[in-house]
Parts: sequence; C-alpha cells; structure tokens
Amino acid sequence: MGQLVVNGLALGSIYALVALGLLLIFNTVQIVNFAQGQLLMLGAFIGISCAVTHELPVAAAWAITMVAMALVGIVFMVLVYFPLRGRPAFLVILTTIAMGIVLENLALIIWGPLPVSLPSPVHGPPLRFAGAVVSMHQLLIFATLAVTLLLQFFFLTKTRFGILMQATAQDLHTARLVGIPVNRTIAVAFAFGAVLSGIAGLLVAPIFLAEPTMGGSLGLKGFVVSVIGGFGNLPGAVIGGLFLGLIETFGARYISSNFRDAYAFIVMIAVLIAWPRGLFGEKSSEKV
Amino acid sequence: MSCRFSKTSIIGATAICLSVALIHESKADAASCPSTIPLVDEINAAGGIGGKKLALTTEDTGASSTDALNAMNRILEGKPVVVFGSMISPHVFAQTEVVTKSETPFLVGATNAKVTAQGSKWLFRTHVHDGQLADLIPEYLVKSLGKTRPGIMAVADDYGLGASRGIQASLTKLKISPVAVTSYAPSDKDMSAQLLEIKDKDADSLILFGRPADVTLVLKQMNDLGIKLTTIGNASIVAQTTLNNLSAAEADGGYAIGGMIPQTSSDPKILDWSKRVQDKYKVPADNFTVSYYDTVYMLKTIIEKVGCDKPAIRDALAATRDWKGMLISYQADAQGDLAHTLGIYRNKGKTPQLTGPIKESGY
Repeated sequence: MGQLVVNGLALGSIYALVALGLLLIFNTVQIVNFAQGQLLMLGAFIGISCAVTHELPVAAAWAITMVAMALVGIVFMVLVYFPLRGRPAFLVILTTIAMGIVLENLALIIWGPLPVSLPSPVHGPPLRFAGAVVSMHQLLIFATLAVTLLLQFFFLTKTRFGILMQATAQDLHTARLVGIPVNRTIAVAFAFGAVLSGIAGLLVAPIFLAEPTMGGSLGLKGFVVSVIGGFGNLPGAVIGGLFLGLIETFGARYISSNFRDAYAFIVMIAVLIAWPRGLFGEKSSEKV
Repeated sequence: MSCRFSKTSIIGATAICLSVALIHESKADAASCPSTIPLVDEINAAGGIGGKKLALTTEDTGASSTDALNAMNRILEGKPVVVFGSMISPHVFAQTEVVTKSETPFLVGATNAKVTAQGSKWLFRTHVHDGQLADLIPEYLVKSLGKTRPGIMAVADDYGLGASRGIQASLTKLKISPVAVTSYAPSDKDMSAQLLEIKDKDADSLILFGRPADVTLVLKQMNDLGIKLTTIGNASIVAQTTLNNLSAAEADGGYAIGGMIPQTSSDPKILDWSKRVQDKYKVPADNFTVSYYDTVYMLKTIIEKVGCDKPAIRDALAATRDWKGMLISYQADAQGDLAHTLGIYRNKGKTPQLTGPIKESGY
C-alpha cells in the first residue's frame, strides 16, 4: 500500500509539473498549449544530447537545457501564437496541436525512434519508509514540484513581472494601453512555460526513458489534471496531479491495469459533473 | 531477367532494372529497416540480381491500418513482383486482401500467429510468431526452470494481448494457473502497480511480453522496487535497445525466447555485419533485422532460379526446404510460415548469452 502511494505521488508530480507549465501560459494568454507534452520531450532529448552524447556533467546538461527551452518557448510563441493572435482561440489551440506533431517528427529525425535514458542528477541508496521504497530521484521529483509551485506562486503574486502577466491575462488591450510591455510579458510566459516542461522532461527521462512519442500522453494528462484542479488554479493543478497519479496507480492495482489511461478521463468527467469549474475553480462571469 | 522491388517492400517488374520498394510502418518499426542493407548495398555491390542493380522505393505506412492499406495500394500501382511487408500485424491484416488479389508474393515479419492463418496463398512469414512463443515460453519456464507460480505482464495491444492469451492457454495445458494476469497500455510509463500486484500474489516468476521500450521500464522498475523474480519473455528482454538503457543489475538473469539475434553469434562475419548495421543505421541489428536480411537473400536465390514470374516465386517460396539463413534454416509449412527455430537467451549482466536453439514442435 505504502509503495503504491509513493509511486502514485511520483507519477502525479510529473503530471502536476506539466500542468504548471501549461497554466503559466494559459494564465497569461488564455490559450491551452497542447504541445506542452512535446516541449517536455524536447527538454528530455536536449538533456540527453548534453549529458549522454556530449558527456557533459549532469548539472551543466540541466542548465543548458533550461536556457535552450527558454529560447524554444520564445520561438514557439513567435511561430504559433503571434501570427494567430486575435483570431478565435480554437485556431491557436489547433496550431499548438499541429506544432506538437511537428516537434515529435523533428525529434524522430534528430534523435531517432529508440528510447534513451538520462542519468539522474541525484544518487544514493533509496529510503525505506513504512515498507515503501523511495528513490533519491523520486525525492528530487517531489522537491522540484514543491519548489516550482512556491516559486511560481511567489512570482505571479509578489513580483512586478508576475502582476504584469496577470494584468495581461485579464485584458490584453487595456494592459497595452496602460503601458505594460505586453509582448515581453507574453514572451516571458512562453519561455518559463517551456522551461517548466523542460524540467519535467529532465525528471522523466531517468525513470521513464525518452522517446519522440513520450509527450502526447503526458501532455494530455497535464491538461486533465489542470481541468480537475480548476483551470488556472496552480495549487489545484498540483492537487489534481497528485490525485490522478494515485487514482491511476491504485486503479491499476486493485481494479484493472487494462483501463489505466481511462481512469484519468473518467475522473475528469466525474469531477466536471460534480464541480463544473474543477475542484478549486473560481466562479467567473462573462458579459454577453 | 528484370524485376522491380519496393520496400515495406516490394519487388516488381520493369524492363530496365530491379526496383525495390519498402513500406516501413511506424516509428518503432523504422528501427528494423536496416534490412534494406542487403537490398541496396550488398546486393548491388555484388552486381545486383542477374547483373541488374536494385532501385529502392519506400512507402511509409504511418501508424494506422488505414494508412498502411493506402501505402500498399500505392506500392501495388508500381506492379512489384514481391512485397516485403511489415512487422506490425494489424497493418499486415489490413493489407493482405489487396496483395492477395494482386497475386503478388507478400513477405512479412509480423508476429501475430493468425497472420498466416488468413488463407492467402501469397503471404509468407520469415520470422517466428507469437503462437510458437506462447507454447515454448511456458514450457521452458515450467519444465526447465521449475517455476509454478508465474505472473503475466504484457503490453495491451494486438501483439502483447494475443501472446498473453496464448501463454495462458499453454499454462493451462501444463496444469499451471498464473497468479496474476496484468497488462499495460503501450504509452504507460509506470508499471509499478502491476509489478506490486504480481509480487503481492506471491509469484515465483514473471512472464513478460512487450516491446524493448516498455520491457526496459518494467525491468528497471522491478529493480527499483526490489522485486526479484525469474523473468522470461520475448526477445525484447535481450534486445540491444533494451540493454543499452539498463544497468547490469537491472538486466542480469532475464530469459528470452524469440527470433535469433546476431549479437550472441561466434561467427566473425555475423558480428561484423551486426556492427555494420549499428554503425550505418545507429540502431542495433535485432531478430527482425536478421529475418528481413535472410528474406531478401532467400528471394535473391529464388529470383536467380525462377526469374520474376510471380506465381513461380510464390511456388518456390512455398517449396522452401532447409534454406540456410544467417542464423537458422528456413522451411515452409502449409500456412506459409518459414521460421521454426528460436533461440533461448539469458542475460549475463548486460550481455545476452545463447542458452540454446529450440525448435517448434514437429521441426
């Protein structure tokens, strides 16, 4: 039982990290980036290129990956968001899906179809707690999620730039009228969103391996946990992620492993029926 | 004599040259496409067939059966004399009817036992199939390794679930009940729940059936969870792709039964070929690579003997007896299966070792 909890929370933490990147962009431009999973995949492969192919120290590989992912995020914004800004949201969303496919195929060309592993930056014997084994890498995942959540929360609510991002999200035109550097704000959101995905990729690759198709499922789960938590709500996404990780793990153990992926969507539908705005969604109104 | 080939692959007739077309089916499948080595490089370097050089055409069937069928239709428009098909069974099922109607010999590596049970006189398989594994894996586990409480874990697709059902049926014949039967979706990354179920039900062994990527994860997670079980499964357990991503401790002791792999050979020529595949295509040669390589050379022998007449090629394939390939001899049975010899392997650390060949009952 204890082991299921540990593994469920570790899996859920990965989902939550994907969701945090997704929400950073959503909370700024109100667009769901369905290529978030593919950005995660890209981060994993950049890390592997640095640490495995070029044999750089793992810490250097992490640093290079984060810088590279920030640039990828900005390029992504220029290619996907800017040309369609102001058009119906579904067009942008469709374009993010298309870009996800492009990234997947690009990775296939560059890195090939075979799965590759990335060394973990942490080593050491696993901890044993109440009959459960907790690896050092799992502890790193938990710690990264906690730090990321706190930093993101602090950044958005306590820093000037974070407040500018929130203002941009609420009304882009008014934000521009009052002198907020809207483009720069959006660029920071895309860059940070991609960096968060990159970090998730670096954490996933040592335990789940990296392959070009890895992003689709993880990206979708990131979206599901965002919906469960209440779209836009950061703590909600984290709780949603952990909740989903536990549901999947316990469901696979005690109900059936055949329907593991289905649990995510069954839970999402059930939550939306009971709480249409998600578990922690805020009430909102819209002028019509 | 002149023929056109294509790759998923196809051989068709032209007046000028031998043209080869390959249909490669998916991203995973692409890893076994080094089978094109003999087609374009070696055969051409050795003067082609009947003095004619091969020209390679390729068709990508994508990930769906519909795409696979469309790719096959495009290939057939080129009037090939032989089609080299997929190792993905659903694609072969989708393509068989049109290839059969075109009366073109269709050579595949797809492993679903039912592939050759479709009643097509034009379809031949040169790789071992899941039906053989489903019999031999339980038999070896129970009779040779003395295990009586196996858990089963398989990838939840046509490949894995078909094998899982066959393995359960074979265990029943041996009067053994698996303590747990589990599966995972091809996209699953965390198999700890299934492993814990098998452990909690006091299994003494694990029958594992999947592809290299997911088998790697299962073996890694077993080690992380401290689960020590005799593990036996398909060739993915000893595939180089799997071993590249495992530590010696994670890989050690795993058994596999499957198509023969070149890495355990002591023949320097085979090892050299394997190295050339790795160097040129950046993927390790595996049992499928060997199978497709043999297929092409078998076909070369046949075309040199009977020319590019499709019925004659079909008859020659159906009459194959003890054709010596790289690692095994091929013999056609009534259904069109040509491979009946498998290898039993065991990982010593990260190095697979051949415990011995094993033949399908009746061969």
